[in-house]
Amino acid sequence: MELVVRAGEREERVRIARAEAGYRVTVGEQTYEVDSVVVAGELYSLRVGGEQQEVWVHRREEGRYHVSWPGGETEAEVADPLTVLARSAHGPGGPKGPRRVAAYMPGRVVAVLAAEGDEVAAGQGIVVLEAMKMENEIQADRAGTIRAVFVTPGQAVEGGDPLFEIG
Amino acid sequence: MAARISVSRMPPSPRRIRKVLIANRGEIAVRVLRGLRELGIRGAVVYSEPDRKSLPVLLADEAYPIGPAPSRESYLRGEAIVELAREIGADAIHPGYGFLSERAEFARLCRDAGVVFIGPPPEAIAAMGSKVESRRLMIDAGVPVVPGGRDPLPDLEGAAAAAGEMGDPVMLKASAGGGGKGMRQVREPGELAAAYRAARSEAGASFGDDSVYLEKYIEEPRHVEIQVMGDLHGRIVSLGERECSLQRRHQKVVEEAPSPAVGEDLRRRMGEAAVKAAAAVGYANAGTVEFLLAKDGAFYFLEMNTRLQVEHPVTELVTGLDLVAWQVRVAEGEPLGAEFDDVRPRGHAVEVRLYAEDPYQRFAPSPGRIALLRWPQGPGVRVDAGVAEGAEVTIHYDPLLAKLIVWAADRERALARLGRALAELRIEGIRTTAPLYRALLADPDFAAGRLDIGMLDRKLTAGELTPPADEAARDLPFVAAAIAHLERASRTAATEPAAAGGRRSRWGEAGRREGLRGG
Repeated sequence: MELVVRAGEREERVRIARAEAGYRVTVGEQTYEVDSVVVAGELYSLRVGGEQQEVWVHRREEGRYHVSWPGGETEAEVADPLTVLARSAHGPGGPKGPRRVAAYMPGRVVAVLAAEGDEVAAGQGIVVLEAMKMENEIQADRAGTIRAVFVTPGQAVEGGDPLFEIG
Repeated sequence: MAARISVSRMPPSPRRIRKVLIANRGEIAVRVLRGLRELGIRGAVVYSEPDRKSLPVLLADEAYPIGPAPSRESYLRGEAIVELAREIGADAIHPGYGFLSERAEFARLCRDAGVVFIGPPPEAIAAMGSKVESRRLMIDAGVPVVPGGRDPLPDLEGAAAAAGEMGDPVMLKASAGGGGKGMRQVREPGELAAAYRAARSEAGASFGDDSVYLEKYIEEPRHVEIQVMGDLHGRIVSLGERECSLQRRHQKVVEEAPSPAVGEDLRRRMGEAAVKAAAAVGYANAGTVEFLLAKDGAFYFLEMNTRLQVEHPVTELVTGLDLVAWQVRVAEGEPLGAEFDDVRPRGHAVEVRLYAEDPYQRFAPSPGRIALLRWPQGPGVRVDAGVAEGAEVTIHYDPLLAKLIVWAADRERALARLGRALAELRIEGIRTTAPLYRALLADPDFAAGRLDIGMLDRKLTAGELTPPADEAARDLPFVAAAIAHLERASRTAATEPAAAGGRRSRWGEAGRREGLRGG
């Protein structure tokens, strides 16, 4: 799975895959073999080459986490690259007015998670796209009302096809 | 003329205490409960509505509702609390600190109702409760106070004479003043004339009254206080000092015993002054005499706190005395025992107060649910907490969650132990002042014991005492967030196939087809 993670001022592409010992996680250029266990609730013990860190990863809402460990703490936002690209495709153009969110690359619509007229929260998944054999949730980048949904499950889309409009 | 308050030394019918009602909440209620249980005394607490599930209620032998959240309608209801004590057959009331603890009329109410007030006599509380009155009493008793007075200086010659008596440096202040207007510091006699003229003209311009007075200026003083304990038979002893200079806006945050600035001789002299101060008001039970300690070793009476202090554990750890237990025994009429002969500190104790406040957001309160809580343990570590994991921290009361106290053979080792304990401490869900103390341990002035009452505010204003970035763990939040995100995604996929809104598993689709066919 490929993710875009923002923590504090830093944004990194993070690739994560299950590996023998737990996960192989690549942050930018650096790859870590991580042994991860849940101690209790949202408390994780992570080991990298024997170095242990006990980390509390508290989910605030979909895609937003509070990460805290003995040496520090930060807020982390996790999104899939398609959502990030969809966001940037529409530019930073202010949050005002309805916004049409388009598929960035060709793929197939796996699921539609919201209907016209739904009130949605920022970060809420609206459409699930399968592209390059990966499922990616396209999320609302802000709270609002779904004005229109242009796709149905099973439908193939081309890059640039509109998926939904939020206002 | 000695203005000694005379108090009957006869204990009001000394009697065994079998049940105590604690008129408090939070960590101090828990502390008192512990002391009582060790003495085999039943402990009852009162609680306000939001405190129904609080730690003191869970630990107490008996618990009684006392009203809604606001203190005025609950923990400050003196008459209702005394009435309750009588109803439930409590022999005594322990007021803790804050709330009703320093209200003379409450102590009087207890006495009138025949309930033992575990604290000093109401007359002593009243005498120490007034700044003007207590200062006058202290001067009469020969306890040093900050030299000066509000009497206006007649002229420059008078000012010079008064300044000469006090010694440098001095402060000129406007009699009608406030807000720093008309204030001038005088570091040496040569500066006096110019400062006097400037202060007078500024005072006149600001307040329409150009009279000024002199006060001894104490540069960067320490706050050093003496714990005293007195019995009902007239014996009062000093249990040594606590260094409480680390304060934020006059609120103590770190305390230690002994003080790095106090040697054996100064300890003896401060102890004697404190005992004199307590005796002057007919004191009994536990109390604290607060002093300003100047750099030259001179000390000046500030005020007396006529109750158990928040920071009493550091004294307990270096003296081996259980102050709460002795408060009860003394209230029962027992004389102070041999363990009070020549009390000397052994080793070093440090306390940090854990507040539910964000030290890096101007100490904004941080209410909320404590999602995760793991206290430090092990050698030399004591935690006096008023909360447990899962507790809801409300905005209604003092934000003090707990006190973390360590003891070791000397100060250096005590600070190392504090660092270790703070590293073990895990508290999530709310913000606390713990990161500030971790940063403080890296401060060279704190490490060297160079403290004064303005130090913490100065350093915070200068942006010091911020936690260093954990460079070794730069990528850790990225790794941790990605793992948590992936695990949640797979959990969601595994357990909520249909709930996700239209996403269906193959099994679900097969089932639907079956159903359609059957219909």
